Amino acid sequence: MIAFEHVGKRYGGRFEALAHLNFRVARGEMVFLTGHSGAGKSSLLRLIMRLEKPSRGRVVVAGHDIAQLHASQVPFYRRQIGVVFQDHQLLFDRSIFHNVSLPLEIQGVEPREAARRVRAALDKVGLLHREKALPIELSGGEQQRVGIARAVVNKPALLLADEPTGNLDPQLSADIMALFEDFNRIGTTVMIASHDLALIARLRHRILRLSDGRLVADEGAV
Amino acid sequence: MRSSATPKRRQGAALKTPRKAAVKPAVEKAQAPQRGARSQQTRFSSRLRAWGRHHRSMGWDSFQRLIRYPLGNLLTMLAIAIALVLPAALWLTLDSARLLDAELDESATLTVYLELSADDAQSLRIEEAVNAEPGVLETQLISAEQGMAEFQQSLGLDDALAGLESNPLPISMVVRPESVDPVAMQQLAARLEALAGVDEVRLDLAWVERLRNLAELGRRVALALGVLFGLGVLLVVGNTIRLSVESRRREIEVVMLIGATHAFVRRPFLYSGAWYGLGGGLLALGLLGLGNHWLSLPVSALAASYGASFSLPQLDVTGSTILLSCSTLLGWLGAWLAVTRHLSSIRPR
Repeated sequence: MIAFEHVGKRYGGRFEALAHLNFRVARGEMVFLTGHSGAGKSSLLRLIMRLEKPSRGRVVVAGHDIAQLHASQVPFYRRQIGVVFQDHQLLFDRSIFHNVSLPLEIQGVEPREAARRVRAALDKVGLLHREKALPIELSGGEQQRVGIARAVVNKPALLLADEPTGNLDPQLSADIMALFEDFNRIGTTVMIASHDLALIARLRHRILRLSDGRLVADEGAV
Repeated sequence: MRSSATPKRRQGAALKTPRKAAVKPAVEKAQAPQRGARSQQTRFSSRLRAWGRHHRSMGWDSFQRLIRYPLGNLLTMLAIAIALVLPAALWLTLDSARLLDAELDESATLTVYLELSADDAQSLRIEEAVNAEPGVLETQLISAEQGMAEFQQSLGLDDALAGLESNPLPISMVVRPESVDPVAMQQLAARLEALAGVDEVRLDLAWVERLRNLAELGRRVALALGVLFGLGVLLVVGNTIRLSVESRRREIEVVMLIGATHAFVRRPFLYSGAWYGLGGGLLALGLLGLGNHWLSLPVSALAASYGASFSLPQLDVTGSTILLSCSTLLGWLGAWLAVTRHLSSIRPR
């Protein structure tokens, strides 16, 4: 699903965010990405989302060499990837329902079908009863779950999450992780960047450990 | 829907991608292939419908945004309207000048002066000869006495002319040409001058020419003003749209993160621009009507004092349609330029 081959990423010609990255993530795998802040977790996710191109090496996601993607193809490429952001990136002037339906709106899904899928996603994250609320009326954990619902509403093959439990207490964090495990169980490839070591150690999935832009450990690989 | 348990469970199931069959509920198995076939079959038409749907919803959405801040948007439209009114008014004025121009053409004539020795019989023969020339529409003989009378009347020199022993004026003839084209008139004049018994042919082209040039100048000024103020409309709309893009920056970043194309992001702004243009055009029409109403009384009074009837020109249906489509197009274009320029600077974080 994801293949990094000798990937390096420099910013502004000097700062080396990532160096000599080599790893593969198989379809249907669940992988944690960890390391201290500044280790390159976000840069790595940004490469997969094609917000950046690698300075060196190749990044291949779902069969696409992301450096070869034409700018006009990028939106369609991104639609295959669901992303959960640490700060949710919800739109605060729209209801929960409309936030979640945004990816479907962008893809032009027929409204009735879209509504059905949005309710399914909200039901999955346990927020169906809040569909008419505005994001501001929800707690941090609930907002994060809306973000997850939005990321999975178009059934992406790959689900990325950048510190999805960053601001949550342990119980909520465990709930969120359980949600990701549910999606992984039905075949979605999941990659989660997190520095909550205690939590991810308990979950027993593969862990990629980054330090100063290098892969220093690849634990529990299948 | 929320209350019943069965559909709820089905919705949950529909979310799951059909990859691991073991955990898949039975409902899902039945649904998945069906859905796949359907989407294959109708991909193009459903994409077309989705496109139309998004256009409709963005058109409506941008219209509602317009109404939500009526004052600011009205000011923008007013700026557009003022920029449109000036060239439109000038154009209308020229349009009425063109009507005057047609009247001028009516009065474009040649004056043929016969030799002093010519008597009435000869003058009739010469008139026949002139009439036989191609390009002559009609002729009118003016006897020496008639000429004198007109001369006296126009100059008010009764006394001075009364002192003359004999009438010094020749018999003359006013010739109306078929064509008022200056070159054709000059050629005709040369031909008439070559006729026996004709002393001189005068044609007063200079003032016709001058008026023509003036009208042409006016047209060019109107065109230049139109282009300049059109650019002004582009700038006004462009700037407004730039601000609204800036204020929706976060939203744009988010939708681009989740796979929105540039066209998708651009669409609501293009509609806003078109609405601004249309609103500005309508306001311009209103202003033109108001100006017409305001000026019509003094203008008709002025015309009446010259013994003429003249009413200010009004924009007809065609003209109004042209104005509205131009302003809408300009609004759309201004928005397009602003969004396209601005989108390249917005990159999702």
